[in-house]
Amino acid sequence: MNSLNKRAVLEGLERAKIKNKSKWRDILPTWCPGCGHFTALNGLYEAALDLKIPEKNFVVVSGIGCSGRFPFFIKGFGFHALHGRALPIATGIKIANPELTVIVVGGDGDGVGIGGGHFPHAVRNNLDITYILLDNSIYGLTKGQVSPTSPVGMISGTTPYGNIARPINPTTLALAYGATFVARVFSRERQDVSDLIKQALQHKGFSLIHDLSPCVEFNRLITYKSWNQVVGKFPEDYKADNRTLALQYAESKEPVYLGLFLKENIPTFNDHVKQIFKKIDSTEKS
Amino acid sequence: MNYKELTVRFCGIAGDGIVSSSRIISGACADAGLHVMVNDIYSAEIRGLGKSTSTIRFSGSKVYSMGDGINALVGLAQQESIDEIEDIREGGSVIYDSSSPADIPETESLASHIPPEVNGYGIPLKTLANQASGSNRGRNIVSMGALCHLYGLPKTIFINQIEKIFKRKGDKVVESNLTAFELGYEYCQNQYPLNNLFVMDKKAKPLQIISGNEAVAHGAMDCGLKFFAGYPITPATKIMEITAKELPKLNGWTIQVEDEIAAIGAVLGASFTGTRAMTATAGPGLSLMSELINLSVMAEISAVIVNVQRGGPATGLPTKVEQGDLNISLYGGAGDSPRVVMAPTCSKDCYTSIQAAFDLAEKYQTPVIFLSDLFLGQRLETDDIKRNINYKKSTRIKPTRQQLKNYQRYALTEDGVSPLIVPGEDGAFYSITGLAHNTAGNPNFESEVHLTMTQKRFRKFKSMVKDLPPVEIIGDADADIGIACWGSTYGAIFEGMQIARHNGVKTKMIKSIMIYPQDEESFKTFFASCKKIIVFEMNFQGQYAALLKSTYNIKPVEVHIPSVDPVSPAKIAAKIMEVNHELTQ
Repeated sequence: MNSLNKRAVLEGLERAKIKNKSKWRDILPTWCPGCGHFTALNGLYEAALDLKIPEKNFVVVSGIGCSGRFPFFIKGFGFHALHGRALPIATGIKIANPELTVIVVGGDGDGVGIGGGHFPHAVRNNLDITYILLDNSIYGLTKGQVSPTSPVGMISGTTPYGNIARPINPTTLALAYGATFVARVFSRERQDVSDLIKQALQHKGFSLIHDLSPCVEFNRLITYKSWNQVVGKFPEDYKADNRTLALQYAESKEPVYLGLFLKENIPTFNDHVKQIFKKIDSTEKS
Repeated sequence: MNYKELTVRFCGIAGDGIVSSSRIISGACADAGLHVMVNDIYSAEIRGLGKSTSTIRFSGSKVYSMGDGINALVGLAQQESIDEIEDIREGGSVIYDSSSPADIPETESLASHIPPEVNGYGIPLKTLANQASGSNRGRNIVSMGALCHLYGLPKTIFINQIEKIFKRKGDKVVESNLTAFELGYEYCQNQYPLNNLFVMDKKAKPLQIISGNEAVAHGAMDCGLKFFAGYPITPATKIMEITAKELPKLNGWTIQVEDEIAAIGAVLGASFTGTRAMTATAGPGLSLMSELINLSVMAEISAVIVNVQRGGPATGLPTKVEQGDLNISLYGGAGDSPRVVMAPTCSKDCYTSIQAAFDLAEKYQTPVIFLSDLFLGQRLETDDIKRNINYKKSTRIKPTRQQLKNYQRYALTEDGVSPLIVPGEDGAFYSITGLAHNTAGNPNFESEVHLTMTQKRFRKFKSMVKDLPPVEIIGDADADIGIACWGSTYGAIFEGMQIARHNGVKTKMIKSIMIYPQDEESFKTFFASCKKIIVFEMNFQGQYAALLKSTYNIKPVEVHIPSVDPVSPAKIAAKIMEVNHELTQ
């Protein structure tokens, strides 16, 4: 890494206020200073430390995009896969070795664009994995084209006359698909991001962290400032136990709610597999 | 007349019991120690009246193909069976239902289409079936009784098989089926007193009957398969259905995923954890998998991908066989992307070679594409497969303690294979990527590093040669004509060689399960010993011939067999005779 890059990266880390360096790999993040992804990285560091997940059992799977480099910045095993294909790969990993803590990291293009067909199925399998969807409403790595979460009218390299297609809401999708843990966070709220990532890792089942993670380089429309004007907290008595209500809150444009939308405890995929193994064992013995 | 070999075809529509008929006959023959091959043909559409046929060839000696033509046609559906008459050999016979001529006009009846050189045997199938069971069901069993008499087959083998197959349905069902069989036999005996005899070796031991798809599934599970992911597709689905049932009994798992991309994705994920993993698909699925197979090459993740080929391109011919997926298997990826390609020739090969596929995949950290096809995957065949349970010839090489100190996931080695640990194991961790990377596994775009790593990946394929299943030279060593072929067409070509030999033309063949890489020295020696080379394959382009021509600088006679029902040994023999004629001119 040349000195200019290194300076930019160090600045980014500084701005993200990442203090605990014990989970860093020797590779420095490739992101721009101020990128929202640093907050999620910090959150994952803290969650991994707090939960004392051994590095040998920690697996981060990613797709392609700025978020794709995530596995290289964290101590543990990493699988930087192809664009949109992180979820099926994580599915194979978790079924083959249920002892591993499996985290999937991807962007909006990766998760609800090219990989959108895998999202519902990863959710409905209810494998015990955590999916951190870093949503910046732009294709950043290809330098600024609209994404599936970009607003109507957005001018970009590929939509010089304005974006026609309506945006997808990943929180809504996860709820509609039947996810058992759905949270939306905003990269400016460092503590909330860390707390909810930790809760997601503790949840038994598929958990989604939809992180509003602004791109400071290519998105002039969706920014820290623009989100800051619309985000809001749930009412005090919100219980996160009703999917229909959660869907209503998820669809709200003003405010855009942050926090835990839903948590539901049902057996995971591997719980079912274990049950079937047991059943087979007992029939074989009898 | 005495017979040592027979080919019988049942033709009908849904509900006629076509498949169950052939299963009873093939089971009876296999139990009696006869060699059997069964081929079912049905349309791609699931509709009530779709025509289907099942052809059973059985013999006292090993059968390698479906042969040419049939001895007997059992026409359970009249109109549908008319087209099948042309396949009947001279002196052959048609069994048809004489109990319901009023159903269809005389001109459309099967009987009116039987040519003089073929014997027609009218039997009141419907009437006798009703007599036995009170319904039309069982017409196929009545016809079996007729067949048994007409060709002097031993009754006991059928009776035993009927009892065996219908046992679980209760005594009443067994009883009515036995009666149906007996009525067919007696009617025929009274109406058509003949003196035919099927000559059998009484001492022959029962043979096992197995399809290619079954052999692949069991071979894989016997050598440690613990994870299967797939998406239903004709003609590969059977493999997933078997692993879905059997893997949980072995503490493994099968998952049906949303598409073939997810299937290979999940396989790579499972393999990343050190688990033996496999998927099975057909051409359209393989097309979807191309990108992740490329990742498997780049990130050096072991994977076995079974492709049960059907006709292509695109959706193509879902229920017909073709060997058209060689090119996509060999070259279907961006960049310089080497992968192992293997092609079994029979059920026994399916069993042993899938285990060899895992040997190569695991040891050399590479994808292996295993090219079966519809004919091989679905046909039933008797074979003496020796089960190889808990077979693991090779495993992934582990790093030494010293190597773990500064662990390099892609450490450069002489054979190109880097010692590997997997998640959950102590000592080191790493990330893998589809990006160009250095020995540590971290992204790196320097051209020197890229070249070094590309060389490393290709080096594995040179090192692999010592571990490949060996080639076999079959036929007459002193023959001038040399033959190369691949996959399931082998059987018909082998029989074609035998026919040619009866006609005084000697040939030899190089039989190789390996398509890439190959034991090039053996091929070079073989080709150098031939005056004329013929390459047979079932596709339009000559995909294997293209590979052989570019690798060995040969100029073969290329025979591109169109996508058809099983290849004709007689036509293969005719081509050999033709080439021989040119050679001796």
